[in-house]
Amino acid sequence: MKTDWKRRDFLKKSSAAAIATMGMGTPFTSLLSSCTGPKGMPSTADSVILLFMAGGMAHTETFDPKKFTPFRKGMESKEVLSTFASVPTALDGIHFSEGLENIGQIMDRGTLIRSYVAADLGHILHTRHQYHWHTCYEPPQSVLVPHMGSWVAKELGPLNPVIPPFININQRFTVGEGEELKAFHSAGFLGSEYGPFLIPDPTGGLESVRPPVGMNTKRFESRNQLYERMVQESAMGEFGSDYQKESLKRSMEQAYILLNSPEAKAFDLTEEPKEKYDIYNTGRFGLGCLMARRLIDQGARFISVTTEYEPFFGWDTHENGHTRLVDMKKMIDAPIAQLIKDLDESGRLDRTMVILASEFSRDMMTEGRPDLKVKDQVVVPDFIEDMKNYGMHRHFTDGCSMLMFGGGIKRGHVFGKTADERPCKTVENPIKIDSVHQTMYHALGIDPEKHYEIEKRPFYTTPDGLGKPVMDLLA
Amino acid sequence: MIKDKQFRRYDTFACIISCCIIFAFSIGTAYGATEQSDEPVFWLWQFLGRLHPLAVHFPVSLLVFAAFLELFTIGDFQSKLRPGINLLVLAGVAGAVISVVLGLLLANVEEYGGDTLSIHQWTGIATAVLGLVLLYLLRQVTNKSKLGLVYSYRALLFFTGIGVSVAGHFGASLTHGEEYLTSVLPWNEESSYAAVDMDIDLVAYQAAELSEEKQIKLVGQVRAIFAHNCYNCHSTAKIKGELRLDEKEHIFKGGESGAVIIPGDAGKSDLVRRINLPKNHKDAMPSKGKTLSKAEIAVITLWIDKGAPWPEGVENQSVYRVAELAPRMPAIPAAKAGLDNPVDLFVDEYYNQHGQSWKSPVDDRTFLRRIYLDILGILPSPKEYEAFASDQQADKREVWVENLLARNDDYAIHWMTFWNDALRNDYTGTGYITKGRFAITDWLYTSLKENKPYDQFVKQLLNPDERSKGFIEGIRWRGDVNASQVTEMQAAQNVGQVILGLNLKCASCHDSFISDWKLEEAYAFANIFADTTLEVSRCETPIGKKASTKLLWEELGEIDSTANRSEKLKQLADFLVQPANGRMYRTIVNRVWKQLMGRGLVEPADEMDNEPWSQDLLDWLASDFVNNGYDLKELIRKIASSRAYQQPSIGFDDPLALSDENYVFEGMVRRRLTAEQFSDAVSKIIYPLFEEKQVKYNPFQLVASEQQQLEYPRASLVANNEFLKALGRPNREIVSTSRDSQASLLQALELTNGETLNGALMEGAARWKEKYPDGDILIHEIYRQLYGRDPKQNEFNIAGEVLGDAPTVEQIQDFFWALLLLPEFQLIY
Repeated sequence: MKTDWKRRDFLKKSSAAAIATMGMGTPFTSLLSSCTGPKGMPSTADSVILLFMAGGMAHTETFDPKKFTPFRKGMESKEVLSTFASVPTALDGIHFSEGLENIGQIMDRGTLIRSYVAADLGHILHTRHQYHWHTCYEPPQSVLVPHMGSWVAKELGPLNPVIPPFININQRFTVGEGEELKAFHSAGFLGSEYGPFLIPDPTGGLESVRPPVGMNTKRFESRNQLYERMVQESAMGEFGSDYQKESLKRSMEQAYILLNSPEAKAFDLTEEPKEKYDIYNTGRFGLGCLMARRLIDQGARFISVTTEYEPFFGWDTHENGHTRLVDMKKMIDAPIAQLIKDLDESGRLDRTMVILASEFSRDMMTEGRPDLKVKDQVVVPDFIEDMKNYGMHRHFTDGCSMLMFGGGIKRGHVFGKTADERPCKTVENPIKIDSVHQTMYHALGIDPEKHYEIEKRPFYTTPDGLGKPVMDLLA
Repeated sequence: MIKDKQFRRYDTFACIISCCIIFAFSIGTAYGATEQSDEPVFWLWQFLGRLHPLAVHFPVSLLVFAAFLELFTIGDFQSKLRPGINLLVLAGVAGAVISVVLGLLLANVEEYGGDTLSIHQWTGIATAVLGLVLLYLLRQVTNKSKLGLVYSYRALLFFTGIGVSVAGHFGASLTHGEEYLTSVLPWNEESSYAAVDMDIDLVAYQAAELSEEKQIKLVGQVRAIFAHNCYNCHSTAKIKGELRLDEKEHIFKGGESGAVIIPGDAGKSDLVRRINLPKNHKDAMPSKGKTLSKAEIAVITLWIDKGAPWPEGVENQSVYRVAELAPRMPAIPAAKAGLDNPVDLFVDEYYNQHGQSWKSPVDDRTFLRRIYLDILGILPSPKEYEAFASDQQADKREVWVENLLARNDDYAIHWMTFWNDALRNDYTGTGYITKGRFAITDWLYTSLKENKPYDQFVKQLLNPDERSKGFIEGIRWRGDVNASQVTEMQAAQNVGQVILGLNLKCASCHDSFISDWKLEEAYAFANIFADTTLEVSRCETPIGKKASTKLLWEELGEIDSTANRSEKLKQLADFLVQPANGRMYRTIVNRVWKQLMGRGLVEPADEMDNEPWSQDLLDWLASDFVNNGYDLKELIRKIASSRAYQQPSIGFDDPLALSDENYVFEGMVRRRLTAEQFSDAVSKIIYPLFEEKQVKYNPFQLVASEQQQLEYPRASLVANNEFLKALGRPNREIVSTSRDSQASLLQALELTNGETLNGALMEGAARWKEKYPDGDILIHEIYRQLYGRDPKQNEFNIAGEVLGDAPTVEQIQDFFWALLLLPEFQLIY
């Protein structure tokens, strides 16, 4: 831990130094060209955008469609495989489920993974699986473990010193299971400094990075000047330097710089040309993608955009699976495709890794995995009379789809496979969460052996440092 | 001159060589295809393959030497060196081709793989092919006298020389590891990490004879490395290759391929060979996860070279400092003029031993602010400052401490913050959703308000009724939970950490490597909290043993393992709170000391086996605490009225220095206001930060009396929110006994533009403006309320400039904001 502290100190000092140079007008783009991580590890990515399909996205209804079994009154539940027709994609022989045409058309720019296998955690709770997905550790833990974004923030620091290194867009904590969501939206033992900067609603994103309501820039500046003059005069000056005092002053400076910086405009979606804005605007998620792109343009490090988890909403289809997914696909299809195109056209996709994932998949019949079923949470009738029963309503862990683009990920590649018949489980190249994390860290140039001694026990980015990067995903 | 005959031989060679390559490829492909099958490899291929490392030296040296000699022929192609060079080239190329063939055999037979291998393989093949071209060119030049080709020949020779060196380098990386060469460079020293803390100075272990103590320490490190890197596959849980590395007998016995260590000869030990192999090698260990660091390999190698000493009973011998369990009442040092508090007499003795001397106590203002914040969590009002200043009693500081301690509700509200963190009690939070978590708020508040004797307090937590059961019930998540996190084990860990100041988290998975606690001891302790007998699991795999039922220290008593849970809990509570359990009382007095002084007598306060800076003071405080009826307030009174507490505060530039073992006590350590202290100050003086409806627990809800009401929503009674979290209130899913005192960007952003603070400031500014329309008066008044003093001339001038005679609401708001964020306000000093 001792050396790590020194390193932390160094990071702080260097970011303070970076801010100082910022103040002198050094363009931050000069910092962008670096191709290696801070410890000289080679890297293929500088930034990450995580698009999280919270609530369990059925692979058979999205990126891994099976035989289309159209709705008919009285059909047997177990005969339902996909409730949508398939549509071709830019990749030969690869089909997506209807409604994902736009994403299908950009698949030549990334990799489709059809073999993510979620952990067995028993009776399923979404937030527990989400905790596992985002931290790589199964809850509960005896120490507070960090979100992957916090690891990235801690190890790499901000890319552009004025943009917080870990930004979380769209998740509110006022909805159901909010407390469980808070449990992993945390920097844990890395220290609150590396926690997520929360933008619960992208349309109000600017609020988070501009002077407080009712305060214009001029007043904000003079308030800050007043503060600085008073620090000079303060009686505490006589006590000399102190880490609490110094860190307080430094953080206040940083906050001031961010709130006053031109980069803060990245949070202002009204600055985006209308045509572009309209393409992205499928609601909060779409606008979250737009904000992510704008932030990447300004040098953000790790951004997570979620469809937002709220029990029984969004991807969490306990009923009306088919009809709900029509809307969900509308919500994600255009903005994600546009995000990739925009990043690719600006050249930023080369150093930005985009990951689309969900905590697990869904199926009509199986809860858990076929050979280890867990307690059912949805009653599925043997025969479907009503449209509301038509869809994937149970939680399925044995085959899930993911997409990855950019930052060193292969273009036009397909990895893994699920069976075409129920149970549509992974049959080729299973990939687990620790490999997903390690692949991302590998691309970012974060040492797989990076760890901290917490209460004298070593904690790695993944439990015991296990999981290897999947080199087949990387170009 | 060179004769034709000789060059006919070249043709023959070339032919043979080409055939060999084709042959090699076919073998390579054939083996590539049959790789899946487990049939044993034909011995000859294996034998030939293993000749590759020998053969490769020829092309490297011959071709490079040929290129070197070629330099001397520049300007005179037909120099007398020519025949020699030609022979070198011929032999070198032949060597290259043979090496390729053998190399391909080796790669397939021994199942190497990975990037380095493919680079090595293809550079090797390319070199061999280039060599053939080189021979052809050489022949054209010498035989057919096509002198125009000399330049091409020479260029190719140098290129091949480089190529063969590159191939050689990658080959070396393959066998010795990629960092073999670069790791010895002085600037690359720190590139590897150890999973196990290497607090062992290997130089001290080079001596021929190791003392018993050193042997114990060395083997302890080795066992720690095995545990963290090998147990997954080589212990009771999973026994791959029939090898177990978790017990002495098995380690020396070895696995299916024989002994893995040869005591005294690390070089011949298979285990050492394997841990040194590059990751890609099929024999490399650990085969999963990360390879061992250099430091770890060095420890294992040294241990084996030293004869793999394993003193009898090493498993049961301690290499860790273990604190005394029994209480101890040291004699109070002789009385001294001006010092009557025993705390001060111990500190005086300590000062003398450590070259420290007493400084003048802090002034009245500083003292009053300290005791208000430390005892009640709030700031004194200007009136209270005045009253204290004008109080003429000689012992007024002691008197005021007592008066504050008598304010039972304020005291309880403030200490809720500390105990909620420590007992992970919260008003909302993880676990409530699955009805697997229970609040103990009402019990806790009542206990603090009544100043419940600490032995009773602990008893009720350990052997709870409905109101206090939340602590040991733990947090249950839906689904299957790791064995080390079942609620019984959570209870064992949390009671261990919070009540007893020890860490059982390691031992709940395997025998600990940071202390002497064993897996089965942790389970025996956890079993006390269980309805049915727990199965012992090591690293998540049951070892086929039922847990026994025992206290961590058998001398405190014997738990009846046949009793039901409530009976066991009753016994546990009775046994643990005995005065004989000095550890428990040292733990609590250390925590209270830390709350008031900013740093414990022992640090970290959760690791009570560490050495205190004054054993006497710690022991005396703990025994005195017991003798005074486990009275927390009396303990606080004693500390807060000591002269030690009144010494000027000490600042630290590096938080690490605080927990340094060489820390020397001088006085109270400066720290940030907690989220709750800061919030309450703002709420009281400027405007309430929280709304009534955010209060989750209102102690006065059932009280009819008009006076007894919350003056404003007190932060410690409010559910966690983004504001409090940004200022450091933990999530409370795990117990937490100290908070980070450091500021962060996220915190600064919350304070700079967050709605909570800025909203309250705006409302508050309007209120203040109405009350104090005159700028000068307002400035004086706010300084008195926030800082307990009048502004200095310079401060007054700055404020006056900003506010003018008749300040606007905005001006006041901004002025307040700046005042609240100054270190003088933010710190307890």
